[in-house]
Amino acid sequence: MTDIRTDALRPMTPLQIRQERDFIESLKEECQTYWDMVQVGDVLSRDLTITPDVVIHFADAVEDFNPWYEGWRMNTWRIPGESPFGGAIVPPLMMSHFVLSVQFDHTKPFAIGSIHTFHDTELLEPIPVGASVTIAARAVDKYEKRGRRYVRHEVTVTDTANGTLYMRELRDILSL
Amino acid sequence: MAETLIHADAARITRDTPVGFELLGLKKKATIQLMGSRVWGRFNPNHWDPVYAAETGLLAPIQTGEMSSAYLSEMCVHALGPAMFRNARISCKYVASTYANEVIFTHGKVVEKTPKGEGYRFRIDIWAQNEAGEMKTVGFVEADVGV
Repeated sequence: MTDIRTDALRPMTPLQIRQERDFIESLKEECQTYWDMVQVGDVLSRDLTITPDVVIHFADAVEDFNPWYEGWRMNTWRIPGESPFGGAIVPPLMMSHFVLSVQFDHTKPFAIGSIHTFHDTELLEPIPVGASVTIAARAVDKYEKRGRRYVRHEVTVTDTANGTLYMRELRDILSL
Repeated sequence: MAETLIHADAARITRDTPVGFELLGLKKKATIQLMGSRVWGRFNPNHWDPVYAAETGLLAPIQTGEMSSAYLSEMCVHALGPAMFRNARISCKYVASTYANEVIFTHGKVVEKTPKGEGYRFRIDIWAQNEAGEMKTVGFVEADVGV
């Protein structure tokens, strides 16, 4: 039992608190640890069309208001945008965040207790807003260090239409 | 006291930027409303719910590491401009959790420049820390400038 309150960090009415607790309860489901879920050699891949709206969604969540990322603006809505590469481009590490949706098999319950600890990302070409990309993650290692278990993936992000390699990454997840 | 506003171009790394140059940092607050927004998934309540976080032994909800990496890359875009988007590299290790309501400062310092083509490949140490100076994220960036 804890005396920490649901509304300790943001104001809520009793209705909002009930909704929040119900939502969190709904997330509880049987899941494997990430360590058990992944085998070295596993490859997962998904395609994503990077719409202007999802770029704004990401940039707003980290309060990055660089106009280079704007392929959508209120009132005008969809616009070509402007950047040193022509039209609007995707923030450098936005695709790195979306890798999570690939390396965690989205058809299975989320592996609670896993923490992203490291990434080494090569940004090879700017990604135009509106591009469709293929995100592929291959499990290359599972290792233990100082009593903790890690799963390592190699990731590529390529243009689905023309095969341009936009990003390459190594990343580690700490697992229960 | 009035703050001095600095135009981004004045802080841009060029071929002439020396080793030791310090990047202009950013200051961000780990706001619970942003930590709990849908873009971070809302499938791990440790990132936004104080009750769940306490039950799992955390002092408070923790930011996803990607938020810290995004802050650092934003700083690097200010410093490197287009060079941050082509043939660049950014590596980050999350060495400590960032808790809700902490204020995070980003830092960067040029540690190496290697001749390449008409310009240089710069290596910049980057890090993020809280108001108490506790390190949260450490890493480095490499980028070609004027190549």
